[in-house]
Amino acid sequence: MTLFAVTRLELRRLFVRPLGWTIGALALAELGWRFALLLQLFLLNQVKLAALPDGPGYTDLVAVRLYSSLITGSPLPFGVTELALLVVPLLTMSTLASERSTGTLPLLFSTGLSASRILLGKYLAVLIWLALWLLLAIAVPVSLAHGVTLDWGKLAAATLGTFLALAVLAAVGVACSAFASHPAVAAVAALMIGIALNCINLGAQLAGVSSGFINWLAMSTHQETLLRGLVSSADIVWFLLAIAVALALGTQRLAADRERG
Amino acid sequence: MNAPTSSLVPVLKLERVARSRASRPAVRDLSLSLETGQILGLLGVNGAGKSTTLSLIAGALMPDSGTIHLQGQDFLEHPELARQTIGWLPEAAPLWPELTIREHLDAHGRLRGFSGARLKQAGDAVLERLELQDLSQRLAGVLSQGQRQRLGLACALLHRPALLVLDEPANALDPVQVVALRKLLRELAAEGTAVILSTHQLTEVTAVCDRVAILHEGVLRHDAPLPPDQHAALEKTFFDIAMNGRAQAA
Repeated sequence: MTLFAVTRLELRRLFVRPLGWTIGALALAELGWRFALLLQLFLLNQVKLAALPDGPGYTDLVAVRLYSSLITGSPLPFGVTELALLVVPLLTMSTLASERSTGTLPLLFSTGLSASRILLGKYLAVLIWLALWLLLAIAVPVSLAHGVTLDWGKLAAATLGTFLALAVLAAVGVACSAFASHPAVAAVAALMIGIALNCINLGAQLAGVSSGFINWLAMSTHQETLLRGLVSSADIVWFLLAIAVALALGTQRLAADRERG
Repeated sequence: MNAPTSSLVPVLKLERVARSRASRPAVRDLSLSLETGQILGLLGVNGAGKSTTLSLIAGALMPDSGTIHLQGQDFLEHPELARQTIGWLPEAAPLWPELTIREHLDAHGRLRGFSGARLKQAGDAVLERLELQDLSQRLAGVLSQGQRQRLGLACALLHRPALLVLDEPANALDPVQVVALRKLLRELAAEGTAVILSTHQLTEVTAVCDRVAILHEGVLRHDAPLPPDQHAALEKTFFDIAMNGRAQAA
């Protein structure tokens, strides 16, 4: 399958470039720091929490909170989602913009590959990289599973929510790379769109409005539900819809490239 | 792979192909055909439409009108034909600087459906043919211009295409490599590969081509066989077309 040939080529390019390793390692180091602080807070409050009948445990206060600051409620270093707002644009910026600047994009077209296959192949490569990164991130809290009681269901829901958020950011990043003529422009555009997607409902929330279109539009609304352990098909559909829209726009731009030359 | 083609069916046939770029006609009403084993020299001044024509043939660009047939099949309806049939070396060989020569060949092979032992054999064969074996683990980003060009050619030849499309392949090659390239093109033609060679150099055309086409302002002005030792005649035809065109434009 030529689609997987594109994925394989893009994965190879991601793994041989120092940028991928550097941002991956730095982001994991930062997450390690966040984990240590979350664990410290948990241990400090353990006695108080044990007295509560349905008090939050290790899963709620450490493992899930590693994923996002959405439900942290305290000024800690970035979680996976906040870091991804920076990491994903850096990872995706070169996927198509650099192909355009080095002249290798027409070469891919000349192998008979459609724009959608090229874009999808590259998207899958980024998704595989991000899945590995997420696995490494979650390995730290899971490694303590033998000494604590983990709510595996809640952790799975939170992991799914975080992975879907990463998938949306990756689709936006690849689409931005399809539109931009320079990788740096793609990275900035993906960063701004990612922040906007995450925080578009901030004003509404400050005004005390917790429903309506603006809240539906925000990625944080749908991710928060999953982080709290509730898997709703409406939220999953939102993520899939956002991915589909971003990839469709990117494909359209790439196809236009071939038309325009 | 170099598919067996009936001698009656041309490897490539363009009929009334037109394409505009930046709101200006780059290729107009172009009709052309190429038989198995032929080497066609495509000449023209800068902006004549040579690179656009090659991009159209390679499938990197879609024509506004007209038809392109590859081995008798409509290329526009079956763009996947390019995967097996065409090898394309654009001007200034586009490469991924972070990948090695071997990784380039592997990537090109997989994009064309090769895998396993077949991929390795095809890679080894072109590395040997282009004398790149000793450099196979070198990153493309650190190659010299000549080495880059040879790698681009190796990628274009990997799947033994029936049609090889070359845009200024002798650019950045030293005289020894230019002679080796001419020898290689003649060998490929003898094996049945049809070649389109776009160049500014009339000497390149007279040295290897058996047919010449001259494009001017997107229009095919000349298409005829090129007998041996006809450099002077070709030079006169070329300059007549180029200078008349300029005089008309002025």
